[in-house]
Amino acid sequence: MKKLVESSGIEVAYKEVDVVTTGTFGAMCSSGAIINLGHADPPIKIQRAWINDVEVCHPGAAVDLYIGATMMSETRPFEYGGGHVIEDLISGKEVELRATAYGTDCYPRTKLETTLTKDDLNQFYLLNFRNCYQRYVCATNSRDETIYTYMGKLLPRFRNATYSGAGELNPLMNDPDYETIGVGTRIFLGGAQGYVIGEGTQHEPGKQLGTIMVRGDCKKMSPEFIQGATYTKYGTTLYVGIGIPIPILNEGLAKKVAIRDEEIFTDIVDYGVPRRERPKLGKVNYEQLKSGRITIKDKEVRVSSLSSLKTAKKIADTLKTWIENGTFYLTAPAEKLPVDTVFKPMKQTKEISFVESIVHEAVTCTEDEEIKTVAQRIINRSVNHIVVVDKEGRLRGIVTSWDITKATAQEYRKLADIIVRHVITTTPDESLEAAARKLAQHNISALPVINQDRRVLGIVTSEDISKLIGR
Amino acid sequence: MVRVLLKFSKEIVDKPITSQIIMEHGIPINILSAHINQQGGEILAEIPTDQANKAIEAFRKKGVTVDVRKLIDVSEKCFECGACVALCPVNAIAFEKDYSVVFYEDKCLGVACGLCADACPARAIRLIG
Repeated sequence: MKKLVESSGIEVAYKEVDVVTTGTFGAMCSSGAIINLGHADPPIKIQRAWINDVEVCHPGAAVDLYIGATMMSETRPFEYGGGHVIEDLISGKEVELRATAYGTDCYPRTKLETTLTKDDLNQFYLLNFRNCYQRYVCATNSRDETIYTYMGKLLPRFRNATYSGAGELNPLMNDPDYETIGVGTRIFLGGAQGYVIGEGTQHEPGKQLGTIMVRGDCKKMSPEFIQGATYTKYGTTLYVGIGIPIPILNEGLAKKVAIRDEEIFTDIVDYGVPRRERPKLGKVNYEQLKSGRITIKDKEVRVSSLSSLKTAKKIADTLKTWIENGTFYLTAPAEKLPVDTVFKPMKQTKEISFVESIVHEAVTCTEDEEIKTVAQRIINRSVNHIVVVDKEGRLRGIVTSWDITKATAQEYRKLADIIVRHVITTTPDESLEAAARKLAQHNISALPVINQDRRVLGIVTSEDISKLIGR
Repeated sequence: MVRVLLKFSKEIVDKPITSQIIMEHGIPINILSAHINQQGGEILAEIPTDQANKAIEAFRKKGVTVDVRKLIDVSEKCFECGACVALCPVNAIAFEKDYSVVFYEDKCLGVACGLCADACPARAIRLIG
């Protein structure tokens, strides 16, 4: 269709093409499945339950459970989770259920253990509350260390970037005004036929960040299009395959579905800054992203996707075959999706603290000073950390009272020999929680506070943080 | 399966090392070819991927030089997302035109690098050696 519009124009394409199929296959964390177990004898009103050691949530009355994709196994956290439970059940595998309850007159049982396959479940429906993001940001990392995020593994100092989404093949990108996609739209979901049941949470079509809520019968799905997945040090998730047919009802739609990757822009975002508003480092389009190389701060950076473009294409092709074979019928939406919703930030009644609120002056030295002079400074200023700076005040290293003690014991003469060069740092806008995590992770007791040019603005110590938490 | 070339020096060539490892660790090692004389020997063998690192370590402990012919194994769990592609420093992983993900095993550095393995959402990559 896209090529047809380019070669023959919108008018011809509108006359020739009835339906355009779309597809996407990516990590969609806000997914899960509702299952009904049937009643045990004696009956149980489940209070807490686990499937393959993954806690499943929110029992309704007695035996309805929701398997959240991101809930992690208590015995194999970060490796196995709710997404994998859903995939295993769809694959026909047997899973182990454990449940506990407080016991009532009508539901006396307090403990339950059994094994289940999908055939033993009364209902097994995928019920995903935010799927199919129209587009997503491109992630990179400014920090000196590798970070593990929901956007994958990000190497230090912009050494790689990741992105997600199918670009021009994304369903919502092809019907951005929701003329044909609405409540009740029949779709391809996980290899079976499912439905759009509403707009997804955080739906913000005004910013090209539309989402949908979907539902489908897991018993008919295929593990090829629904797969559990793991993001190291982040958690587990579910890869979901979605395809939506867009009927070309008018010339306007013919024009909209002709959208190309080069017209779809997204922000390059620095995930090295753990804040709600992460710094934007520029814009990039999906054609550039799919090429594998983008430019960040005048440097060529390799980029690759987290979602499978190959599977996305396969989904669009499968949906096309279903429609041609007459096994899939298009539906008109029963209700339109909103096009004016915005995604507001959280209302916080208690502001949290950032490094800037506890940073204090750092006691510094330069590399050419004597060990003895630095030792005296530690005593006079009663500190444990001396930050080593150059003439411009830029960070060169750190020396602790322990390093000085060691130097004396081992008879090192020069300060340069004992300076710790690889310094873990923080910035004024980092949260105290994130700073505290760095201290614990690296087993250190202070962080120099620096700005973007690595100029030392001060220091925070574990004492400062514990004082604040102890208050 | 992982293909390894086992090199036995003159000093150890008369010892039943391969059978010992098979029996001690219960690893089914498939010998594809063997050339052995009093001066030493070479065995080309196949080891199941999930037990490869254990077997290689056992051979090395007994003084055998192990030459791993394959440093990366990608299971059928791979759903070709490409999360590993931009991480590979030697371009051993790449996208084809149709966005299939291909692994050039001959370029791979194996455990010496390993940047890709923990970035795989499908946990499909295993490094050997």
